[in-house]
Amino acid sequence: MNKQYTFKEEDEEFFGGVGSFGVPKFDLEMHGGVPRGFTMVSFTDTGSGSELFGKQFTSPAEESENTLYVSTNEGRQEIIRVFTKYGWPLDINVRTIGEEYNSEVLEKELLASRFRLEGFRLEDIQRLAQTRFVDEKHHDYLTEVTNEIMSLGPYFRVVIDNLDFFLQREDNTKVVAMVRMLQAHAQMMRGLVLINISNEGLNPTIKQELSSIADMVLSFKVRTIGTDFETSMIVSKFRNAPENLKILVFRVTPAEGITPETVERIS
Amino acid sequence: MQPAAVYTRDRCITGIHGLDEILRGGIPYGSTVLASGTCGSGKTTLAMEFLVRGAIAGEACAHFTATEPSVKLLENIRQFEFFDMNMVDTGLINVFDMDVLYSWLGLEKSSFDLDDVHALIKAIVDIVNTIGVTRLVIDSVTTLCYKIKSEQLIRDFLFTLGKKLSTLGCTTILISEITSATENAHWSSFGVEEAIADGIVVMGDVERMGHLLRFLQVVKMRGTSHSRAKHAIELTPIGVMLTPMLKWGAQGDTKSRWGA
Repeated sequence: MNKQYTFKEEDEEFFGGVGSFGVPKFDLEMHGGVPRGFTMVSFTDTGSGSELFGKQFTSPAEESENTLYVSTNEGRQEIIRVFTKYGWPLDINVRTIGEEYNSEVLEKELLASRFRLEGFRLEDIQRLAQTRFVDEKHHDYLTEVTNEIMSLGPYFRVVIDNLDFFLQREDNTKVVAMVRMLQAHAQMMRGLVLINISNEGLNPTIKQELSSIADMVLSFKVRTIGTDFETSMIVSKFRNAPENLKILVFRVTPAEGITPETVERIS
Repeated sequence: MQPAAVYTRDRCITGIHGLDEILRGGIPYGSTVLASGTCGSGKTTLAMEFLVRGAIAGEACAHFTATEPSVKLLENIRQFEFFDMNMVDTGLINVFDMDVLYSWLGLEKSSFDLDDVHALIKAIVDIVNTIGVTRLVIDSVTTLCYKIKSEQLIRDFLFTLGKKLSTLGCTTILISEITSATENAHWSSFGVEEAIADGIVVMGDVERMGHLLRFLQVVKMRGTSHSRAKHAIELTPIGVMLTPMLKWGAQGDTKSRWGA
């Protein structure tokens, strides 16, 4: 890479070489945390706790203005409720693409369907006759989110929960290119990026490509044992530290959120 | 035995100086007229005056603009004395931007399929029906039809639209852009519009002693006899003026396909 960023010595000292996952026990398992500059991709099963892990990952928020949580499925109120419940900082930047999509695209599509199906009412016609310009706002959420992240400064922390929204609506090569750009930006700025992607329906080639771009690959699994669910986290790639590859069973506690179990099960 | 009374169709008096005389009283009500012309031949001004004259007579009018934004259209037309912006403000002349209509109908796409075409027809008919429009202009049908890729679909669109508007008693001018109004030219861009329209009015330019004169010629008008002579058009502040060109006699008239 041609571009280089000069970091201040005091910042280097303050932020350190690794950042916390927001899960103390997981930090210990990973020998201190996640190296700064890492891009993590987590492939997730439905109900495996990855959304909560994503939120928890933003909780260390060394600099709240430099921390961004991008949600494509949840609303702002729901996110605030979860952050409040666990006592995580509420002053980070949150972008709710799902909500934006609903109000900017789906509502417009719904209205268009109504006009096509039921026709125009007199008040619609009066408004139409007085509307001189089309709302030219182009909804390229992928570019918007990429630009937003690329504008974050050193030691930023970003979570995208999840990438499915973009993979389903955009050219997949564009989405992979976006992840590549974020990875390069994170490396240059010593930022931390966590991207959640659902396992279901994911193209194996895309999965392979995303895995190779990422510095760390996680998998969130859920299975049933008797009448219980067991959730686990598999670290299948940790760049330059294969000793960190692990399978961790975790549970969710009201006090700590996601917490790896340190007691090994016999059966 | 008394001879049967000659039936004449009710007319939509255009109010355009000279045009009603050419049409022996006006356009038969509910007709769809194709106003084909080269750029700068006065199509938009003629069509707008057609609406203004209707609005003055208390008719509800609608103008769908696809070639230029309505803001620009109104700015250009308001320099004519015959036009009064109050007609737009009070809803006598309703000006619709096709881009806005497309956006409202979810038609912001490069080509329309059958469902889209039906949605567009339904929207236009809805507007005509709801506000009781009796004079309608689509400027231009060429721009609109560029989005309809199949000739059959263009034919269906124009036929269905024309039929529905006619049923509602709405007299319609469809403006068509053509590149040449000479003898070998077509009267429409896609070739299908002219067959479906009830009337065809061609507008173009002829050169007379170094001057480019605008002309208008009624080629076809179902339901009325009419002059087929070329008429000179003058776009004056008080409106469009038509005067016969015949007596001017000039070179090239013998070649004209539309000469009287």
